[in-house]
Amino acid sequence: MTRLRRLFLSLSLVSLVLGACAPSSAPPAGGTASTGPTRGGTLIFALWQEPETLNPLYATQTVNTLVNEIAVEGLTSVDPNGEYVAVLAREVPSMQNGGLKVSADGKRMDVTYRLVQGVKWSDSAPFTSADVKFTWDLRMRDPKVTSRTGYDKIEGIDTPDELTVVVRYKETYAAFPELFGSLLPKHLLDGVPDLSKHDYTRRPLGTGPFRISEFIAGDHITAERNSNYRVRDRPLLDKVIFKIVPSREAAIAQLKAGEIHGMWNVLEAQVPDLEKDPSIKVSSVATGRLERLEFNLAKPGNPADPKVPHPVLGDLAVRRALLLATPKQQIIDKLLYGQAKPGRSALSIGWAASKDVDQEGYDPAKAKQVLDQAGWLPGPDGVRAKDGIRASLRLSTTSGDKVREDAEQLLVTEWKNIGIEAKIQNSPSSVFLGTWAQNAPRPRGDFDIAMYASTPDLDPQVYLAVRFQCAQIPQTANNGAGRNVNRFCDPQADKALDQAGATLDLQKRKEFYAQFLRILNDSVANVWIYNNNRINAFRANVGGYRASSWDEITGSIADWDVRN
Amino acid sequence: MAGQATAIGIGPAPRTAQRSQWEMALERFRAHRPATAGLLVLGALALLCAAAPLVSPYDPESVKLSLIHEGPSLAHPFGTDSLGRDLATRILYGGRVSLSVGLLTVTVAISVGTLVGTIAGYYGRWPDSVLMRLVDMMYSFPRLFLLILFGVFFKGMTLGVIVVVLGLLSWMTTARLVRASFLSLKHREFVEAARCVGARDRRIIVRHILPNSLAPIIVAATLGVASAIIAESTLSFLGLGIQPPTPSWGNMLKDAPSEMNLAPWVAIFPGLFIFLAVVSINFIGDGLRDALDPRHVTRRG
Amino acid sequence: MGRYVARRLLQAVPLLLGITLATFLILKAVPGGPLAAYEADPSVTPEDLARLEHAFGLDRPIPEQYLEWLGRFLTGDWGYSLATHLPVLRMIGDRLPNTVYLMGTVYLVTLLIAVPIGVLTAVRQYSWFDHLVTGATFMAFSTPTFWLGLLLIIVFGLNLRLFPLGGMGTLGSAFDVGDRLRHLVLPVATLSLVGIGHYVRYLRASMLETIGQDYMRTARAKGLMARIVIGRHAFKNAAIPLVTVAALDLPELFVGALVTEQIFGWPGMGRLFWDAATRSDYPILMGILTVASTLVIFANLLADVVYGYLDPRIRYS
Repeated sequence: MTRLRRLFLSLSLVSLVLGACAPSSAPPAGGTASTGPTRGGTLIFALWQEPETLNPLYATQTVNTLVNEIAVEGLTSVDPNGEYVAVLAREVPSMQNGGLKVSADGKRMDVTYRLVQGVKWSDSAPFTSADVKFTWDLRMRDPKVTSRTGYDKIEGIDTPDELTVVVRYKETYAAFPELFGSLLPKHLLDGVPDLSKHDYTRRPLGTGPFRISEFIAGDHITAERNSNYRVRDRPLLDKVIFKIVPSREAAIAQLKAGEIHGMWNVLEAQVPDLEKDPSIKVSSVATGRLERLEFNLAKPGNPADPKVPHPVLGDLAVRRALLLATPKQQIIDKLLYGQAKPGRSALSIGWAASKDVDQEGYDPAKAKQVLDQAGWLPGPDGVRAKDGIRASLRLSTTSGDKVREDAEQLLVTEWKNIGIEAKIQNSPSSVFLGTWAQNAPRPRGDFDIAMYASTPDLDPQVYLAVRFQCAQIPQTANNGAGRNVNRFCDPQADKALDQAGATLDLQKRKEFYAQFLRILNDSVANVWIYNNNRINAFRANVGGYRASSWDEITGSIADWDVRN
Repeated sequence: MAGQATAIGIGPAPRTAQRSQWEMALERFRAHRPATAGLLVLGALALLCAAAPLVSPYDPESVKLSLIHEGPSLAHPFGTDSLGRDLATRILYGGRVSLSVGLLTVTVAISVGTLVGTIAGYYGRWPDSVLMRLVDMMYSFPRLFLLILFGVFFKGMTLGVIVVVLGLLSWMTTARLVRASFLSLKHREFVEAARCVGARDRRIIVRHILPNSLAPIIVAATLGVASAIIAESTLSFLGLGIQPPTPSWGNMLKDAPSEMNLAPWVAIFPGLFIFLAVVSINFIGDGLRDALDPRHVTRRG
Repeated sequence: MGRYVARRLLQAVPLLLGITLATFLILKAVPGGPLAAYEADPSVTPEDLARLEHAFGLDRPIPEQYLEWLGRFLTGDWGYSLATHLPVLRMIGDRLPNTVYLMGTVYLVTLLIAVPIGVLTAVRQYSWFDHLVTGATFMAFSTPTFWLGLLLIIVFGLNLRLFPLGGMGTLGSAFDVGDRLRHLVLPVATLSLVGIGHYVRYLRASMLETIGQDYMRTARAKGLMARIVIGRHAFKNAAIPLVTVAALDLPELFVGALVTEQIFGWPGMGRLFWDAATRSDYPILMGILTVASTLVIFANLLADVVYGYLDPRIRYS
C-alpha cells in the first residue's frame, strides 16, 4: 500500500470515529523529500472534457471553473476546511471586524471590503474598487450570465476610495460571502457591448497566479506564469498546459506513460488500477455532490398537479421500503470502488450540515415487513399491489452515465426482491435536466423516481429554498417557475428554512437547518445514495497540490511543482 | 427477368410456369454456397436466441455483485459484465432484440417504400414529383445525424420506437426500386391488356405489377435487415438506442471503451455476434440476388 | 448541359429550404434543451432560467425563430453557440480541417487499395484470389465500424502499444510528421476497411459487366494484348460508375465519421455534432445539418454531371 493511500485510509478512519461531517482535506501530497519546492518548468494537465467558456460569469461546468480559477480571483473564497477566506480583500467582513453593519431596523445591511494593496491585473494595470463595482454592474446588465443569485439583493455599491468597497444590501443576506468570487477587469471590458463575443471568454484576464495565453479548440489551453502575481515567489511553475484528451482512458494511458503530469476527474472504477502504479498518486476527497433518488410525491402528469398525491410513492411506507431496500454501501463498494460515502441528508459537509441526521440503513426484510403492514401485498406476478394499484414505477436518470445505469440495474434487482417493480426509462441529460418551458419530464412532473446529483454551496440557503419549499413546486399556476421537482411540501420545513435565511447568527442558522433536514429525512422524499469524491491523479514527481471539498484541485496551483 | 413468364398471358400467369420459376430460383440459391452457409448460421443463431431461457440457466438482467468482470470460464463461456451477469446469456437475449429490430424495421421500410413507390410509379404526374422530392430530401439528411436527433427526441427509446424511426429513415431505396419497376411495367402489353378487360387500378397493381417487382424488393429487404441491425447497434452503442437493463448487441458494447483494458471480453463477444449475423444476412442477400435475377449471376464455378 | 445544371440548382433551393425547416422543427420538438446545463449550478434560480431563456431567444414563437435564423443564415451570420458563445462559423471552421484531414486520408487509402484489388479480382474471376477477396469484402462491410475501432484499440493500442489510443498528435512536443501519422493509422484503418469492401465489390461487378461486352471481345479478337484491353478499354468504362459512387461519398469528407471520431477522440465535425446534439446547441446543429445536406445535394449533381461527361451515351436535356 502506498503511503498516500495509508494516509487517506487513516484520515477516513478518523473522520468515521469522530463521525465528522467536516470536510476532510488531504495533506499536501507528492514527493516526500524535504528539499523544498522546485521552481520553474512546465506541467501538463489532462482534461477529458473541453471547457465551453472560460468566462466565470457564464460557467456551467466544473471544468470551466477548474481552468479559469488559475487566472481569475475574487474578494473571498472557501478553504479546504469549509471556511470563508479573504483573497483580494484583506479580511472576510464580519460583525466582529466591523465589515458587516446591519441597519437599526434589522432589515438592511452594508458590507465593507478593504482591498489588498498593490494588486495588479496580469497585464500590469492596477486592481481597484472600481473593478468590484464593474463586476456587479456587468453581472446585473449582461442577460447571459449564469446566475444573479444574491447580486440582485444589492442596492448599490460605493467606492469611497480605490481600496474600499461598500456593498449596500436591500435586505439582510446571510450568504453574502458567497458573492464576488470572481472579479472582472474594468479597464479591459468597460464599454464592451456584448461580453459573450469578447475574447475574454476564451482568454480571461485576472489577478491569479497564471494568465491564459492560448486556447486552441479541441487541443489545448496554455497558461503562463503571471509575473504580477501578488504572492512572492509564486507560482512555482513557469507554464501549465491543459491538454484536451478524448477520454479518461486516454488520459490514464498518457499518465502512466509519463506524457502528462496530472489528470482531472478520474472515475472511481479507475482508482484501483492507478493505485497499483507506484509512479502515480491519486488525490481523492469527499465533496458535497450528492447522488440521490428523488421521488415524485405528486401524481405524474404533464404537468403534475401537486395536490394529487402519487398513487404509489404518495405512501410513506413505499418510500421507506425503497430506502430500506437500497444498498448504499454495496453500490459504493462495488460500483464506486469505495471512493464515496453513503449519503445521510441533503447536506453532508460544511457548517450547515448536521452529523446526527441520517437515513435508515439497508434492511430488505424490514422493507417487506413495512410493505406488508401498509397493505401492499404480493400479487401473482410477485409485484405488490394495494387497492388494485400495482407497485410499478419508472426509474429515470441521464442516459449514457455508466455508474448511474449500473446502479439503476442493481436497484431494479434489489427492489424486485421486495416486490416493487422498477422500469428504467432514461433520457439524455439535455432532456432529463431540461426546463419546464422545454417540456422536460422532471420539472413537468412526468416521472416517478429520478436519479441525479447536485452540489450545494457552502451557504445552502438558496439551494435548499428553491428545491424544497412549497412555493417552488413547478406548476401551471406559477408558469413552471421553481425547482422543487420533488414536489415536497411541508409548512414546518418551509418555516425552518425561512428562519434560517432571515438570521445572520451562524449557530442559530445551523439549528434551523438541522430542523429542516430532519423533517425532510422523515418524509423520505429522497434516498441520499452517496456523496461523490473529487478524484484527480498526478505523477509522483508533482507536489504541492491540495484537494479541497469546496474547490477544484487547481485552487492550489500556485504551489504546484514538478521535480525531475 | 422474373416478369417474362407472366408477360405472355393475361391475368395471373399459369401456376406451373410460376412454380418452375421459383423452383429455378431455389436451385440457384442452393448452388450459392456462402448463401446457404449464411442461412444455416443465421437460422442456428435465431433458434438459439429464441430458445434463450432453455439454453441458459442465468437471468439476463439480474445483478450479481459477487461476479463482476469474471473472465471466460466453463460456467461463463464469454465471461461476465460489470454487474456480474453472464455475457453469453445477455448475448442470446440481446440477439432477440437486435434480430427483431432488423426484421421489423425492414417490414416498416418495405411497406412504406412499396406504398410510396407504387403511388409514384403508377400514377405519375404530381404525386410522383412530390413523393420523389420527399425521397430526395430524405436522402439528403445524413442518416446517423438524424437518428441521433430522434434518439434525443424520444426519451428512453423502446424497441417499437426504434423500429419506427429506423424504418421511416430507410424506405427510400425500396420506393425508388418499386417506382422504377412500375414505370417499366405499366405500359407493357399484359398490363394494358388487363386494363382493357376492365381491371381496376388496385387489381392491376396488386395482381399484375407488384408480383413482377418482387425480386428486387426481396433482395433490398434482405440487405436492409443487415443495415438495420448495424444501425440499431450503433445507436445503442452511443447510448441512444435500447435502454438497459434490456440487452441488445449494441448497448452491451456501450461501456466497452471504459472497460476494455479491464475486461476485453465485454468489448469482443457482442460485436462478434453482430458481425456473424450481418455477414450471414449479406451472404443470403447475395445468394438471393443471384437466384432471383439470373442476369446478376457472377459465380458459376 | 448548362441548362440542365441550372435547372437542378434551381430545384435544390426549395429542397434545401424544406430540409432546414424540417431540421428546425425536429430540434424544437425535442423536449429539454440547452438550459439543462444550468441545472448543475446550485445558485441558479427559476428567475435566472427565465432570463436566460429570453436572452437566447428560446421563448419566442417557433416560426419567428426559424425566419430569423434563415434571414441571418442567408447573410452569412450563422449565429452563436449557446454553450461556448462562439460564432458557429468559427466553431465549424476549427473542426473542419481536422475532419478533411482524416476523411481525405481515408478516401485516398480506400481508392488506392480498392481499385487495384477490384480490377484484379475481375480479371482473375473465379481464381482463389477472387474467392478470397470476395469473402473478405463481405466480411469488411459486415463489420460494425465502432466495433472494429474498439478491436483495433484493444489489439494495437492497449496490448501491443504500437499506436496511440486517440487524438491527432502528441501534445507538448513540436510538430512531428511521424507522430501525426501514428495517430492517423487506427482511425484510418477502421474507416477504410468498410469502404474498401464496398468499392471492391462495385468495381469488380462493373468490370465483369464491361469485360462481357461485345466490343471487348472484338478488341481481344483483334489480338490486342490483354493488359491493354483491360487497362485501356475495360477499366476506363468500368470506372465510370465508380467515379459517380466516389462523388456521392464526397460529403463524408466534410461531415466526418461521428462514431469513429467519438471512439478515437478526433476533434472533428462528427464530435462537434455529437456534443451539440447532447446539449441541444441548436445553432451548431442547424449549421452542420444545413452544410451536410447542401453537400449531399451538390454531390448528387456532381455525380450526374460527371457521369454524363464520361459516358457519351447519356444526354441530359
